[in-house]
Amino acid sequence: MGFIMDGLDAEAYDRTYSDAGLVKRILGYFRPVRGAMALVAVTVLAGSLMDTALPLLISRGIDTLSHSFTLNAAAILVVGILLSGALSWGFNFARQLYSAKAVGNVVLKLREDAFAAVLARDMSFYDEFPSGKIVSRVTSDTEDFATVVTLTLNLVSQFLLVALIVVALFIIDPGLTLLALLIAPVIVIVALAFRRIARTTTQRARRALASVNSLVQESMSGISVAKSFRQERSIYGEFCQVNQRSYAVNLRQGLVFSGIFPLLNTIAGLGTALIIYFGGLRVLGHTASPGSWYLFVQAISIFWFPLTSIASFWSQFQQGLGSAERVFALIDATPRVQQTGEVMPPRLAGRITFDRVDFGYNEREPVLQDFSLTIPAGQTVALVGHTGAGKSTLGKLIARFYEFQQGRLLIDDYDIRSFDLPAYRRQLGIVPQAPFLFAGTVVETIRYARPDATDEEVEAAARRIGGGDWIEALPQGLQTQIGEMGRGLSLGQRQLVALARLLLQDPSILILDEATASVDPLTEAQIQEGLDEALAGRTAIVIAHRLSTVKRADRILVLDHGRIVEEGTHNELLARGGDYARLYNTYFRHQSADYVPGGGFVAVAEGPLALAGAEV
Amino acid sequence: MVNREFTVASAYTYNRAGPIRWIISHVLRYKVYLLIFAVGTILAQVLTAVVPVLTGNAFSIVLSPHPSASALITITLEIVGIVAALFVVAPAGVFGSEILAQRLERDARDELYLSLLAKSQTYHNQQRVGDIMARATNDVRQLNPMINPGVSLILDSMSSLFIPIIFIGFINPQLLLAPLLFTVGFFFAVWRYTRQLTPVTANMRAQFGEMNAELEETITGIEVVKSTAQEQQEEGKFARNASKYRDFFVKNGAIQARYIPPLLIAIAFVIAFLHGVFLIAQHQLSIGGLIAYMGLMTLLRYPSFISIFTFSLVQLGVAGANRILNVMRQETELDENANGYDEPMRGEIAFEDVSFSYKGIPNIAEGDEPDNTPTSQLGQSEPTFALADITLRIPAGQTVAIVGQTGAGKTTLTRLVNRTYDATSGRVLIDGVDVRDWSLDGLRSQIGAIEQDIFLFSRTIAENIAFGVGAPLGDSSEPAVSREAIEQAAKQAQAHDFIMSFANGYDTVVGERGVTLSGGQRQRLAIARALLTNPRILILDDATSAIDSATEDEIQRALHEVMEGRTTLLITNRLSQIRRADQVVLLRQGRMVAVGSHDELMASSDLYRRIFIRYDGDEKNSKLMQAVAEAMTSANDQADERDHQTVAACG
Repeated sequence: MGFIMDGLDAEAYDRTYSDAGLVKRILGYFRPVRGAMALVAVTVLAGSLMDTALPLLISRGIDTLSHSFTLNAAAILVVGILLSGALSWGFNFARQLYSAKAVGNVVLKLREDAFAAVLARDMSFYDEFPSGKIVSRVTSDTEDFATVVTLTLNLVSQFLLVALIVVALFIIDPGLTLLALLIAPVIVIVALAFRRIARTTTQRARRALASVNSLVQESMSGISVAKSFRQERSIYGEFCQVNQRSYAVNLRQGLVFSGIFPLLNTIAGLGTALIIYFGGLRVLGHTASPGSWYLFVQAISIFWFPLTSIASFWSQFQQGLGSAERVFALIDATPRVQQTGEVMPPRLAGRITFDRVDFGYNEREPVLQDFSLTIPAGQTVALVGHTGAGKSTLGKLIARFYEFQQGRLLIDDYDIRSFDLPAYRRQLGIVPQAPFLFAGTVVETIRYARPDATDEEVEAAARRIGGGDWIEALPQGLQTQIGEMGRGLSLGQRQLVALARLLLQDPSILILDEATASVDPLTEAQIQEGLDEALAGRTAIVIAHRLSTVKRADRILVLDHGRIVEEGTHNELLARGGDYARLYNTYFRHQSADYVPGGGFVAVAEGPLALAGAEV
Repeated sequence: MVNREFTVASAYTYNRAGPIRWIISHVLRYKVYLLIFAVGTILAQVLTAVVPVLTGNAFSIVLSPHPSASALITITLEIVGIVAALFVVAPAGVFGSEILAQRLERDARDELYLSLLAKSQTYHNQQRVGDIMARATNDVRQLNPMINPGVSLILDSMSSLFIPIIFIGFINPQLLLAPLLFTVGFFFAVWRYTRQLTPVTANMRAQFGEMNAELEETITGIEVVKSTAQEQQEEGKFARNASKYRDFFVKNGAIQARYIPPLLIAIAFVIAFLHGVFLIAQHQLSIGGLIAYMGLMTLLRYPSFISIFTFSLVQLGVAGANRILNVMRQETELDENANGYDEPMRGEIAFEDVSFSYKGIPNIAEGDEPDNTPTSQLGQSEPTFALADITLRIPAGQTVAIVGQTGAGKTTLTRLVNRTYDATSGRVLIDGVDVRDWSLDGLRSQIGAIEQDIFLFSRTIAENIAFGVGAPLGDSSEPAVSREAIEQAAKQAQAHDFIMSFANGYDTVVGERGVTLSGGQRQRLAIARALLTNPRILILDDATSAIDSATEDEIQRALHEVMEGRTTLLITNRLSQIRRADQVVLLRQGRMVAVGSHDELMASSDLYRRIFIRYDGDEKNSKLMQAVAEAMTSANDQADERDHQTVAACG
């Protein structure tokens, strides 16, 4: 039902295909099922012919009966009616069955292609487009496409029926046919006008309903506040107003929708009256037979329903093409990260060299310019700096999530562009701020990176984190269900699981984005102990937010606008009283256990905040 | 009778004995519209059936030996008259059902909302907002299409089936043979069809949801997928899901293709035609009668196309009604206790051998236990109790820091104080009086809570701060508290400066036009809110993390201000606050493993020392680490072979 929003949700990678190109592309997907589609085409035509035959036969029957009655003629007619009814049903059956099979397969292929295309994108794609929209392209747009194909097949058969009957009527009596066709434009115009009105009222109704729902959502989320302050009455009063307004708007919409069929029925009824009168006159004047008179009366009721669907068809058809276009645009978008080789790296030592690298997420704002840095294998490097200094960018480039524009990035002595990416990434361990865990048990989650690991290996990895006592705090130990998106675990527990996953993966290089959110002190202690384990013997790049982490690092790099402005250990840098000392006063001061509000500043070389140094 | 925390005098009472009775009692509230709906719908079908009869008459006139054009005009005018009447009657019936449907939705939402407001905090804490929202949105919404088009179409198609049959009976009772045979076959076919289709459609929908959910998960976790190079695993998973969906789609199409009523109506037509011709041969039926008969038979097509999905709409509506009723019927076990103890509070709290279990607390989802009720957060050693054997005495005015891991029972402990929950055994006393003997109003109005997720309403900042003292919301009448008092509270909570930095100051609407507040700002607004209500006991769940030290300075000053002179139960992750508290309570899996001042616990508790090990001054730190490490390694036989400093489980 997304038609209202159509055209508003265009994405940057969208492209316009020519109609011919689009049709060619769609036909390409139908090629593997062309046998089924040919069958569908035949049954559509045959079914419509049978549906047309039925009223014609009855009309002939009436003529025969009103002139001379013979049992023979009646028997032939009866057999004819039975045959046309049965065959019509049979053709319809075959059409529906084979179109379901064909469409099902086409959509499956389309979905697989779209999903493979999604997986092939680099991270810049996921940064730009919200996951909900990507999902809806892969599943909903393809579904809409399927609906429209099925709908089109239905409509083609209905349209054929109308066309065939009109031809038959025209042959029998052109004048009366034109009279009967008089109602056609009226019905189409009414149906189109209805769509217009329905669209605006639906929009309003939906908005009104959304406001009730959001009010209920808000008050149920805030119920504890309302209750502890005893404010039920005031929020109920507001609810009543909004609920009443939604009722009024939705009622109006409902009336519009339920008014349409009686209106169309009335028009069809007037058409019937016209045909009865003028047809009757012709029969009286012997210019028409009673049978054809009957046929015309019947035609009105056969006509009007397909006419209403034809009126709404064009916009739905365009929607279907639009859906197909969106899916193809997704499939055709080109990834920005391009590999030049497929080198399978041996076990890496973990030496990282940035050699005069230029990088920006977009052309306008360069993040790194002429950036050079060497990290020896096994070193723990803490990156500190204000937001936007480029801390996380370094990690993302090492993970090869983004393409850089200039310079070289070497891992050990390999150019990062020469690697087979999956093989390289198996030697990278990445722990983001809020670690993402797939639904499943804790065991399954830890095993994710190495599906072949045994239960014993998983358990051993888990036990190495924080002494393993965090597992006892889980309701069912390692068999605890993590729940959708990791909701079953606290943030701290998710970090512990992510660390265990990392230990099992055993990467050479570790990229860790420390959480800013606070974690209860006991879990925090377990995480810190787990970090000791994870950092040992690996090159580690830590985007540091915790005082304990910067203290522990072998080397701290202070970043500012993509440049390294200071480096050294915690104590060296504090003693220097420069940028790091300023950052300490801004971000780390309050993390000391001896912190008192407004105190704990360290001395900096210049600046108004300089106070006599407290403990460090 | 259900205990209620809130009631509205004018509320209409509905029959809640069962979903169908409940729906009927709602609909019967509007008898006039019900009558318009029923009469309008049936009358419309009668009029519709008259048209083929008149058509038959027209044929009789024209085909009679002495045809008259004026009689034809009369018939035509009669038909026009019928159509005109239909133009009035048919909409009346449909409008009647539309009004009933919309009112049912409105009233049911109102009834549910009122009942939710009346339920205790305990109840709400037990429910996930998502579950309640599903009832209040989808289930309530589903009641509307249940009436229109659901019930409305059922009545419509039933009358469009039976009324033509009655008319056929009037033409010649013998002609009833074909339509009655058809009716029997039709009902049987629809029953079979629905039985086959329903499970497949349900599976198809479920599989679509599954496919979407897993895809969403993969994309949200794409960084993990890529960094662990598991693209193939994900592609395989998606292909399996999409193929399963395809199979249901094809199966669904095959069942729909086999829908047999169109074939039945064709056969009925043949029988009818044969029978009519036979009767004509017997001179028991005129050609006009046959035309009318065939016209009426044509009307039977209509129910055969439409009746399938209407029943499922009604089914869905009744199922939704049932879920709504389950929520409304849920007992809430606390009541207002309006005549209970109600004196100014001093703020002395005592837990006497308190245990608490979530068992027996009613739950919205009958049968299926949500995955993460606090019950399941327990360790395996104590499967039933969230808190066990808690004995604790807190003098008025003290600050007690509660420390423990997620699921250790910190929040549960605080919730026993304001009777969000009642202790399963043991007693919680405030000023020496059991909380269950306090009047609920008196108790809660003197206990302030600042939750972990601070909830602000989408209203002005001033209204949010004044919320607790009954400022009428969305109502322009006289406010219960002056602007000066609000500003004073905001200043004390260190919130004034950032509030004034917004263009509209105190009249800034929260959440509107990009006004988003950081966790620290929300917390300070909550503190201002608490300062205005001036509670004696404060429950402070302080998990907010300040990213920079200046914000932390302000939050700490605000907290200091609000804790001053109040008994405070403080759940915090901040080491500096823990160490300055008068008492620290260390919880582990629902049990109190240590209690005392910071210095006492540093001396007595290994678990407590483990927390501070990395944070104290360097000198102290190294010594302490050494000491603890020694204690740990000797206590822990399974020491890590890597010869790495391991701090194992204690306590």
